[in-house]
Amino acid sequence: MKRRANYLKGLRVLLAILFFIPILLFFIDFDSKLPDSFHSLLHLQIIPAILGLSFGILAFQLVLVLLFGRIYCSTVCPAGVFQDIINRLFCIGKKKRKGSMRFKYSKPFNLFRYLLASVTLLLAIVGFTELLVWLDPYSNFGRMATNLFRPVVVWGNNMIATILMGMDNYTLHHVTLKTITAAGLIAGGLALLTFVVMTVLRGRFFCNTLCPVGAILSLISKYALFRISFNKSVCNSCGNCERTCKAEAIDSKQMTVDTSRCVDCFNCTSSCVKESLKYRFNPVFKKEKPEEAPLLPSSSNLSYEVNSRRLFLATGATVAITLPVVSVLAKKTQTEADAKEETGERWGPVTPPGSIGLKRFKDKCTGCHICVVKCPTQVLRPAGLEYGLGYMLRPYVSYKSSYCNYECTICSDVCPNHAIMPLTAEQKKTTQVGIATFVIDRCIVYTEGTDCGACSEHCPTQAVHMIPYEGTLTIPKIEPELCIGCGGCESICPVNPLRAIRIKANVTHQFVELPPEEEVKDVVIDDFGF
Amino acid sequence: MKRRDFLKTSVVAGAALSLNFDGLQAALSSNTIAVEAAPELVAVMGGEPQVMLSKALETLGGIGNYVKKGQKVVVKPNIGWDRAPDLAGNTNPELIKALVKGCLDAGASKVTVFDNTCDNWQKCYQSSGIADAVKTAGGLIVPANDEKYYKEVALPKGVKLKSAKIHEALLEADVWFNVPVLKNHGGAKLSCAMKNYMGIVWDRRFFHSNNLQQCIADICTWDKKPALNIVDAYRMMHQNGPQGKSAADVATIKSLIASTNIVAVDTAALGLFNQVKKLDINAVGHIGLGERLKLGTTDLDKVTIKRIKV
Repeated sequence: MKRRANYLKGLRVLLAILFFIPILLFFIDFDSKLPDSFHSLLHLQIIPAILGLSFGILAFQLVLVLLFGRIYCSTVCPAGVFQDIINRLFCIGKKKRKGSMRFKYSKPFNLFRYLLASVTLLLAIVGFTELLVWLDPYSNFGRMATNLFRPVVVWGNNMIATILMGMDNYTLHHVTLKTITAAGLIAGGLALLTFVVMTVLRGRFFCNTLCPVGAILSLISKYALFRISFNKSVCNSCGNCERTCKAEAIDSKQMTVDTSRCVDCFNCTSSCVKESLKYRFNPVFKKEKPEEAPLLPSSSNLSYEVNSRRLFLATGATVAITLPVVSVLAKKTQTEADAKEETGERWGPVTPPGSIGLKRFKDKCTGCHICVVKCPTQVLRPAGLEYGLGYMLRPYVSYKSSYCNYECTICSDVCPNHAIMPLTAEQKKTTQVGIATFVIDRCIVYTEGTDCGACSEHCPTQAVHMIPYEGTLTIPKIEPELCIGCGGCESICPVNPLRAIRIKANVTHQFVELPPEEEVKDVVIDDFGF
Repeated sequence: MKRRDFLKTSVVAGAALSLNFDGLQAALSSNTIAVEAAPELVAVMGGEPQVMLSKALETLGGIGNYVKKGQKVVVKPNIGWDRAPDLAGNTNPELIKALVKGCLDAGASKVTVFDNTCDNWQKCYQSSGIADAVKTAGGLIVPANDEKYYKEVALPKGVKLKSAKIHEALLEADVWFNVPVLKNHGGAKLSCAMKNYMGIVWDRRFFHSNNLQQCIADICTWDKKPALNIVDAYRMMHQNGPQGKSAADVATIKSLIASTNIVAVDTAALGLFNQVKKLDINAVGHIGLGERLKLGTTDLDKVTIKRIKV
């Protein structure tokens, strides 16, 4: 038996590599060696495009699915490709029946998945992104890469750097990651575990049950013009195709392909010896000939389709009706939290410049952590429960040991969700994410009677400046209208554990004027002065 | 009167003796005979950084006095901030370039440059122009951004600071040059040669919480003294230091001071500074504390000074 080359599968793998490798590298690029323009690959991701309101990209994706089906899931989506890689690794050294041909057809969990997808998306629309944070495939991949793969790469880098350093070679340098938090690790670990277990047991099970993107695409892909289908006259129901289908979408007995679950991997087409199964131009409106498709009342592919659409609409409607109630509840807890934050009872998280405000940021961010990776000062860290369940896994600006670089706008440049809106350098320098607050009782100058001034030293706008105190001592004073909340002061304040100067987050970001330009005076001296 | 005169004479005689010895060595190694005894402190004014440096070194008997063939040299500038050279937040890159090149020409086996920066180290190295300057000159600019690069050193003479983690490049070096930029400083009041030592240690926060001025003096008691302190005052930040906000903070005074006497060099630099902004030496506590720790003298009358205008 001679097998024909499967060009479609080759193309799929090639595309997958072209998307996956750059995205993976971008996430583990701990030293920002790659150009920032790589972030455009992240903007193609569907959930970011929805949240970032990138209608052009969404329209493009829609056309793509309508034409070719869920090719997105096998190429653009890094989580999808990652599952294919797990599958490939799993198959190494295994007999076909235990490895690449271990799958069998299963009925779809349509009720569950459409319900889950509608609830997730509708909640996200009213500002509850919690479910979406956990289910978005792209963000899950991002968290794995950021919190699991990146540390491994850094560890390797440090090993090599140490060896090279011994030879006076400083092309690599030692890096200490400060951005790995327990929450980030757990989230990354959970994603990895989920993908491995589901892929090993049931192939693309995640994509066809839990994934909200998968569910949306399913609704469209079943109308795709090009699709995998049987030529029933030549099929002998050998079942090879069914066993290769990671999506468990092929029923070889009934000779049906559930196009809603098919991710266009094209593994099945090369397994078909009879060349019955092929990727064909086969639109839904092209009526199948009655003798080729005897309508079986027991399991009709069509009835699934109708059901699923009805189901999605019905769920959507139900959730939509309950929305007002949910959003009222949401608002209530939200305002309570805000009130607490505003009265200073509890200080909220400082959100990155460009995020406009806490509420908006929470609604837009799905915690992919690309900003955490790219921040050159490692000031962004994934939150655990310190700011409540609602802020979990979102990055907050942590001034524990670093601060936000005055000139830098990288997080706002790379954020695919536009949760952090792009800023110009000047906008960044005038965006006030919080205000420095000074507690004199804790200040070294007051308690020890010695010079310090570390805070003022690090202040790029001199919003924190030193004024005369006792004798020759000087003590910090804050000009709130100059402060942008970069945290230079807090990060270096030597008072432990509670610092004398701290940034209080602005729940909604404010804007300040650039520091006034001083006149440049010509100073001429022609004497040494000593 | 008589006793004072006697002391004065003997001090000068002593200094002259030791300096003559240096001069002899220089003469032997460079085959030239120094016409006058090398001064303890040289101040140069009015030239480009590299020109002033070569004048100063020439006056001190040539770089061969400090760097011998095959030695490992460290040049320690101030590269604290993500600032371009014209804002004077960091040591002048032209000066560093000339010094690195001078050391290599004198036969140094390698010249290493680093600073424990305040802003992101890569940005500082780049924006300051120092990374490029060092590479052009053939030196090695090394990272100092991680605790891994530092090793604990005891400071028995320190009052508050009894030990510190110091960069290993410096621990390995045979010779090092302390090359600060002269500027105003919010905490220490003045940032110059003594303050520049803070960039060789890992934990700066300890300084701030344990009497900053004393700790600065303490770290300067480390046994391995710089061969020379070379103060860059080509551009001088006279306000809003140490970071500076704009060009309005900078005065171009085209000066350079060099001496082994770190207290004298800072005192002299303060004199220079005082012509632009008034600053009381008592406010710059570490200078006086340095004198108390016998690191040098604030009495410039006791120091032989050579003033050169280019």
